[in-house]
Amino acid sequence: MTLNILIVDDSAVMRAMILKTMHMTDLPLGEIYQAANGQEGLDVFNQHWIDLVIADINMPVMNGEEMIDRMQENPDTKEIPIIVVSTEGSKTRIERLQYKGARFIHKPFSPEIIRDTVRDITGIGVSDE
Amino acid sequence: MSEQLKEILSRVAGETLEKLAFMFSFPEDERGTIILDSAVAATISFVGPFSGTLVMTVSNQLLPELAANMLGVDDEETTLDQQHDALKETINIICGNLLPAIAGKEVVFNIDAPVIIAGVEAIKKVIEDHDNKPASIVKLNIEESECDLLLFINGKFTLAS
Repeated sequence: MTLNILIVDDSAVMRAMILKTMHMTDLPLGEIYQAANGQEGLDVFNQHWIDLVIADINMPVMNGEEMIDRMQENPDTKEIPIIVVSTEGSKTRIERLQYKGARFIHKPFSPEIIRDTVRDITGIGVSDE
Repeated sequence: MSEQLKEILSRVAGETLEKLAFMFSFPEDERGTIILDSAVAATISFVGPFSGTLVMTVSNQLLPELAANMLGVDDEETTLDQQHDALKETINIICGNLLPAIAGKEVVFNIDAPVIIAGVEAIKKVIEDHDNKPASIVKLNIEESECDLLLFINGKFTLAS
């Protein structure tokens, strides 16, 4: 099985960094889609099958938390695993995201953190260790 | 308290640059402020238990290297848009890590989107528009290039223990 991944971040450089990091891991990658805000991210679900979402929180147009809320309202997207990659430092906000089912990775991140979190949340690649 | 604030800002900036762009920074307290003719700045404002703005000014020559290191490509392969995006993401991460280091993890801050400021007069205006002096100034040497960080804080604040 390969993973179709949606990366949502308003910074093109950060999206490229996450993509580069994903390629540095041995995870089985399928198609990688990119979006610059939550609304663009939601639009991708209408066109493509997504196995995993990696999203920022602070974005224009629609922030990451609202995108997560909208995903959870939709039966087609509510089970998709979500990893939030953000600079957010507030314990309150991080716990709120975790309560919504998202994993949290703090920026700046290491490739190992991304790899291990993706493995953990998807169960893919764990048996390869 | 100002020395503690300076130490926190210097440490957070150094850790961010190292982890994000594999760049090492060293304090350069003795030098003057950065030469604005050949520099670009980014600013980011925040509101929470206290409000303020972080201004990061870097030598033009640092930008391609910063972007290239973040993207994992050669310096000459990066566009100006990517270089500005890289600087914005860098100040965003510094600010995001700085505020909990100052105020603690229990408090909530709203952080605006970072903005690029180019041109001597525009950078001067951003710095001079603040009524108060910077709460902290950190001058760094990054890979033989200069970087100044100015933290403006409005009103009173206390450092978390």
